[in-house]
Amino acid sequence: MTTMRRFASSKALTLVLMLGLMAAACGGEDTSSEEVSAAQAQAATAQSEAAAAQSEAESAQAEAEAAASALAQAQADLEAAQAAASAAMEGDEASQSALADAQAALEEAEQRAAATAEASEEAVAAAESALAEAEQMLDEAMMEQEAAAGPVTVRAAITGDEATLNPYTYISGFPGWNLLMLQYDSLMQLDAAGIPQPWLADTVSVNADLTEYSFTMVEGVTWHDGQPLTAHDVDFSVDYYINNVEASRFARDLRGVEDLVVTGDYSATFVLGSPKAGFELAALADIPIIPRHVWEGVEVPSEHDFGATNIGTGPYKLVEYVEGQSYRFEANPDYFRGAPAVEELVVIVFADDAGAQAAIRTGEVDVIFERIPPEQIPLLDAQDPLDIALGPEFTTQMINYDASKRPFDDVAVRQAINLAMDRQDIVDTVFLGAATVGSPGWIHPEHRSYNPSMIPVYDPAAANALLDAAGYVDGDGDGVREFDGQPMSFEIITNAPDSLRLRIAELTVEMLAAIGIETSVAAVETGTWEQAVWPEFNVNNGRNYDIAMWGWSAPVQADPLRLPQLVASIPMGGFLNLTGYASAEMDALSAALPVESTEAGRIAILLRMQEIIAEELPFVLLLYPDGAYVYDSSVYSDWEFIAGQGIVSKLSLLPPSARP
Amino acid sequence: MRRRLDVRRLTQYGVVVVVAVTLNFLLPRLMPGNPLVLIAGVDVGLLSPDERAEIVARVGLDVPLWKQYLRYWGDIFTGDFGYSFRSSRPIVDMIWDRLPWTLLITGLSLIVSAVAGVILGAISAWRRGTKTDLGMLSGMISIESLPSFWLGMLLISIFAVQWGLLPSSHAVTPASGLAGWAHMWDIVSHAILPVVTLSILATPGVYMTMRYSMLETLGEDYIRTARAKGAGERRVLFGHVARNTIAPVVTVLALRIGFAFGGTVIVETVFTYPGLGRLVFEAVSGRDYPVMQAAFLVFTAAVLVANLAADLLYPLIDPRTRTS
Repeated sequence: MTTMRRFASSKALTLVLMLGLMAAACGGEDTSSEEVSAAQAQAATAQSEAAAAQSEAESAQAEAEAAASALAQAQADLEAAQAAASAAMEGDEASQSALADAQAALEEAEQRAAATAEASEEAVAAAESALAEAEQMLDEAMMEQEAAAGPVTVRAAITGDEATLNPYTYISGFPGWNLLMLQYDSLMQLDAAGIPQPWLADTVSVNADLTEYSFTMVEGVTWHDGQPLTAHDVDFSVDYYINNVEASRFARDLRGVEDLVVTGDYSATFVLGSPKAGFELAALADIPIIPRHVWEGVEVPSEHDFGATNIGTGPYKLVEYVEGQSYRFEANPDYFRGAPAVEELVVIVFADDAGAQAAIRTGEVDVIFERIPPEQIPLLDAQDPLDIALGPEFTTQMINYDASKRPFDDVAVRQAINLAMDRQDIVDTVFLGAATVGSPGWIHPEHRSYNPSMIPVYDPAAANALLDAAGYVDGDGDGVREFDGQPMSFEIITNAPDSLRLRIAELTVEMLAAIGIETSVAAVETGTWEQAVWPEFNVNNGRNYDIAMWGWSAPVQADPLRLPQLVASIPMGGFLNLTGYASAEMDALSAALPVESTEAGRIAILLRMQEIIAEELPFVLLLYPDGAYVYDSSVYSDWEFIAGQGIVSKLSLLPPSARP
Repeated sequence: MRRRLDVRRLTQYGVVVVVAVTLNFLLPRLMPGNPLVLIAGVDVGLLSPDERAEIVARVGLDVPLWKQYLRYWGDIFTGDFGYSFRSSRPIVDMIWDRLPWTLLITGLSLIVSAVAGVILGAISAWRRGTKTDLGMLSGMISIESLPSFWLGMLLISIFAVQWGLLPSSHAVTPASGLAGWAHMWDIVSHAILPVVTLSILATPGVYMTMRYSMLETLGEDYIRTARAKGAGERRVLFGHVARNTIAPVVTVLALRIGFAFGGTVIVETVFTYPGLGRLVFEAVSGRDYPVMQAAFLVFTAAVLVANLAADLLYPLIDPRTRTS
């Protein structure tokens, strides 16, 4: 009992001491020494009072146990409050008064505890709630201090240079396009669910047959140089992208646009030559609007010298670029959705992942604008103050085979391979759980077009039965089945620098061996691999492989209306059909999808296409690696994870009120 | 006699230059892979034939190989290598931006490794067969077999991540706005780890040459003669051994200067150091032919100049090679 009492009263002492510490911590650089010493004096007073309380507490024996546990709880709460307080750099009135309140509450509780033994439980509870209140006040005080703490600078790592970051020079689709779009805006903007919302345009409407997309624009938006943005700039941008001699992603987005009819300074209508569903996602939310007064007369944009900075309407201005090393972006305080929460963004170029990860460990950067590999997730997460933002991404890992030739032209062989793949095992052993098991119908379970009846099945016995029934038997007893008199023995080609993909290939060898298909891994340099799977990046050039590990980047899946590019037969628009698969029903659905006028109708077509993919298997989708981004939560933590896209967007850097 | 020799030597250099330039041109193009994906990105499969033709023409890959080859020779003589496929920047600017950083770290590491290698090699040879000699020898052999990226990452994890003493990457703190002495210190602190890595890796070569060369000299009759006539150890070491040992060491060092450029590719990549080595790494991964051609040319020139310097220096250092 005595021990317990001592414990309880020593807790009270600790509490008071911590309040004193808090007072000291709150007193930062700007606090005068009088304030600090006043806080120390307060702490000392409180300390002596607590000593008195200790002797009183000794008289309240029965209640001491309850008090001990309650106070332990209060101490934990206070520890949190103390941590919060020490994070706050400047002392201010709010934290001082919170401190005073906490002390008063504690004293009150102590007096009540001393006054009557019966009431002491109540008193402890009251003290507890008073402390909770104090903690809340301290939190608020800390947030106020944070807001007043001066400009937030975030230093981000990327792993490759992105040139001068204008629409004709940025290099990678990710994160190059994402950084480009910090300086520019498009008519629409993806929200956190990955759905386009009005942005520079404040209304967007489409006619019934999907050939006219009309929009009105937010008025009063200005370019970084102060000039007003109007529909004429949009008109100029569209013309420029379509007609410039240099090909660009944005010209492809605008294929099928016959005209942009400007109907006012802030309204216009896109007129398309043929119906096109999904124009919002494919074009309106993708194309950066460029200023006519800057770009007029620019003939070769990739080599044009635009001077010190790119002029856009976006939340950031690029104020410094050192080739191969760094970018410095400054917030645009006049941004039409509100000034960004991050005032300065420094983007630092690293040569590889390892360099970027070392730099976030040393504190040289505050966030990495690249997905981190699975084995690094727990290691980085364990380090304070690093945190991980996790979410679904629409990149893929899959098995391709040449479905135009024997034996992969036989759907039974493709189905057997699909049944032989233990996707969960790959997710667990290669990705350590940081991936989502692949749908055999291609579309990610978190995607709005996902067909929920697509369940991956792992059943090697069924796969063996299927191959037996289709006549692929092991005639010579060497453990390998035969087709057309040859052993079913193939090479799996993969790109050596991608170690995760290489490990998937190795597991695939084992899984296929279990169904009598012999394979070996050929890990080659990326260029060689691409050349075998996708010669000259033109599907009309055929294929030079049997089995290949492959993966598509997120945009291919993010826009479900691109599915025909993957599965339509090559003459029917299968630009990304790397396996030579062809099916009449799929071609018909592929043709119907872009001209279907209702969202419900398009979803119905997509659900059917997923069923066919899962049945006929133009490829075997294995998994979707999850997006994992590491950031330093002590610098900035308000990152917005856009489904399928990750955290690198203007949304992450704007205050929550300015996000769509 | 002398003139005929010089003409022959010049012809040799000329042949080497032609062969090297031709290889610089051919190697990038013999690598599998296609610069198109670099320029068009993931949408490369969606390009129309016209768009493909436009891109290919813009980067000058539409003309036959022999014309591209002649154009490369033209570039060499005019000193204008055109624009990078990747960054659309003038290549000459890119090289001039990167060259000083590579010169800084290779220069410093050459000095450090030369001094360390010569001193340690001399000590080792002087005490040949002792524990000191064997310890040093086996240590140097171990160091020589270290992979450079591994050593670089080890130093990063100790000095940057664990102890936080030095920055892990880059040549300056990006966008720091530092000036004056703070800027100088920023450059020095960023150079330390790459220089240490390069120096550690380069020391064994110098050490081995120094040690063997000195052992050979120590076994010569004239050393025995010098000792026999009563010369002191110090006089034997500096007056007889050192002078006869130095020539092969200088050759090795000169060759190293040339090859040091190439040796920076991996180390500069590990430290994200903005030198020529990293430029080459980026260009190779991106199939940026014109940048590869130009950077390889700088490497070639470095090797040739270093060779030439060794050829010219040798007779000055070692009078025995002046005759014949």
